Amino acid sequence: MNFFTLAVKNLQRRRGRTGLTVLGVAIAIAVLFILVSFNSCYEKHLNKELNNLGMHILAVPKGCPYEAASLIMQGGVFPKYLSNKDLNAVKKIDGIEIASPMLLHQFIGPDGKPHVAYGINVNEMKRLKPWWKVEGRFFSQTEDNAKVLGKDIAQREKLKVGDILPFGPDKLPFKIVGVLEKTDTQDDEFHFLPLEVVQKIFGKPDQITAIAIRVKDISKIPEVTRQLEKIPDIQAVTITQIMGTIMNLVGSARALLVSVVIIAIIISAVGIINTLLMSVNERTREFGVMKALGAKGADIGKLVLIETLFITISGGIIGLLLSLFGASLIEVLIKGVIPYSPAARLISPEPRLIGFCLLFSIVVGFVCGIYPVVKSSSLTPMEAIRSGLE
Amino acid sequence: MNNKIISAQGLTKAYRRGSEEIFALKEVSFVVSRGEFVAIVGPSGSGKTTLLNLLGCLDTPAEGNLRINGIEISGLKEKVLVKLRRENIGFIFQQFFLLPTLTVRENIELPLLFSQKSNYKGRIDKITELVGLKARAQHLPHQLSGGEMQRVAIGRALINEPEIILADEPTGNLDSATSQKIYELFQELYNQGLTLIIVTHNIDLAKKAHRVIYLTDGKIG
Repeated sequence: MNFFTLAVKNLQRRRGRTGLTVLGVAIAIAVLFILVSFNSCYEKHLNKELNNLGMHILAVPKGCPYEAASLIMQGGVFPKYLSNKDLNAVKKIDGIEIASPMLLHQFIGPDGKPHVAYGINVNEMKRLKPWWKVEGRFFSQTEDNAKVLGKDIAQREKLKVGDILPFGPDKLPFKIVGVLEKTDTQDDEFHFLPLEVVQKIFGKPDQITAIAIRVKDISKIPEVTRQLEKIPDIQAVTITQIMGTIMNLVGSARALLVSVVIIAIIISAVGIINTLLMSVNERTREFGVMKALGAKGADIGKLVLIETLFITISGGIIGLLLSLFGASLIEVLIKGVIPYSPAARLISPEPRLIGFCLLFSIVVGFVCGIYPVVKSSSLTPMEAIRSGLE
Repeated sequence: MNNKIISAQGLTKAYRRGSEEIFALKEVSFVVSRGEFVAIVGPSGSGKTTLLNLLGCLDTPAEGNLRINGIEISGLKEKVLVKLRRENIGFIFQQFFLLPTLTVRENIELPLLFSQKSNYKGRIDKITELVGLKARAQHLPHQLSGGEMQRVAIGRALINEPEIILADEPTGNLDSATSQKIYELFQELYNQGLTLIIVTHNIDLAKKAHRVIYLTDGKIG
């Protein structure tokens, strides 16, 4: 027998109370893990996603440019359009390397859910996104009944290269000529078609949702932006501005999560201290007997500290398991309350983060254990045992 | 070796109840020789348990001198008293005070955890056998009778090989047949050379001791 066995057996004496305390710690650690993981992954993946747009500036119709940019990134539809006249004006600006028009249109897919058709200029888009790889082939700009699917949508709908699907209001047969390799961005969710085909099928001739712009020299981005905004219908947003705006928008959601974590940790700490103090008070005479049997104050303190650490470490492990196994569900919930979220996983089992959470649960154990440990170890044998002897 | 294992001179212990000072012990003096079997008897409130607590180094006298195994305990720090207690004294309580989640064997083993003695497996087996609980070594206290629980407490008191056994009403919660068995166990410990000091109301048990100390109102009568 050792102190650990003795501590565990003591905790087993009141399984219900111990279990509830462990659960309290588990919830606090799970929330902590989710928050920290979300914080670190969100910014990283948002950055990656914005870089994967392959552009420096997005030209959108006048209105709220950030809402437009966010909708375009997620595949939403903005109720205003630019025209070919705007595109031609953009292409005349000095310093622009690529100005690629795009039209996004939502439609109800075969699964009864909204899908997004993404009309592009394929050659320009391939230059903007040179990392794009496709299983099968890309369509040519003049091809009428061909499309390329994002990886996730192809997997979810069990579609493959060569399949023919009815598409558009007239349910015309379209052949899937290619499936994009996974990008971990919103591109995995789109149906890519030639711009002209999307304009024709959905009755939007000459209409463009946005123009993706890459400049020749990134030091000229402010100058190009100024020139773009001289075009009457256009508002220009840089990728840096989009990033900043999205981070601001999610800031309040993050602040809410931080408050939840702090409250959860305080509640669980009070719960641990309460459990331990009740346990110490109930066992005062027992500690006195232990002292009569040769235990030092430090032995009693060690026993109480091991009990505390057992509660917090097992709570930490359970909390981590809960958050890792429930990560998908938690992500759906979080993504539902924040204005924009990258397509990639926002809660991931990074070893450093797991280590941090376990270390945090140990620190909580030490902090919560201080008072009960001091109280139990400083009892004199007579104080502790008196009720049992007289 | 000094034959006096306990030497008490003018032990006094008082408690305050409000403004009133109550003397639990008043100038108690006696000597216990090594290997003696002493019974302390007296009515309730006569100071028996207070005296036992002083002898067990659980408390210190307000006045007087107490030497355990040649060591004067007045003024000693708790750390030193713990060592003295651990190496010299085994305690047996009326209510047994076994840890309910530990088996018979683990309860007997408990003091070794605090004295950090290892390689004591053989001794645990020997003590478990001595107290007649070998067959029940893996039972929990709630599965035992009162007599068996007291035997576990005796085993626990013996495990650190103390020279002095202090027992507070060891048969107080037991019927007469079980008390007789406990007495036989004490007799065996006495035969092994241990010093036994027993506080008891049990006249039969007291009569079997070699010397009886009568306490009345905190004084030896």
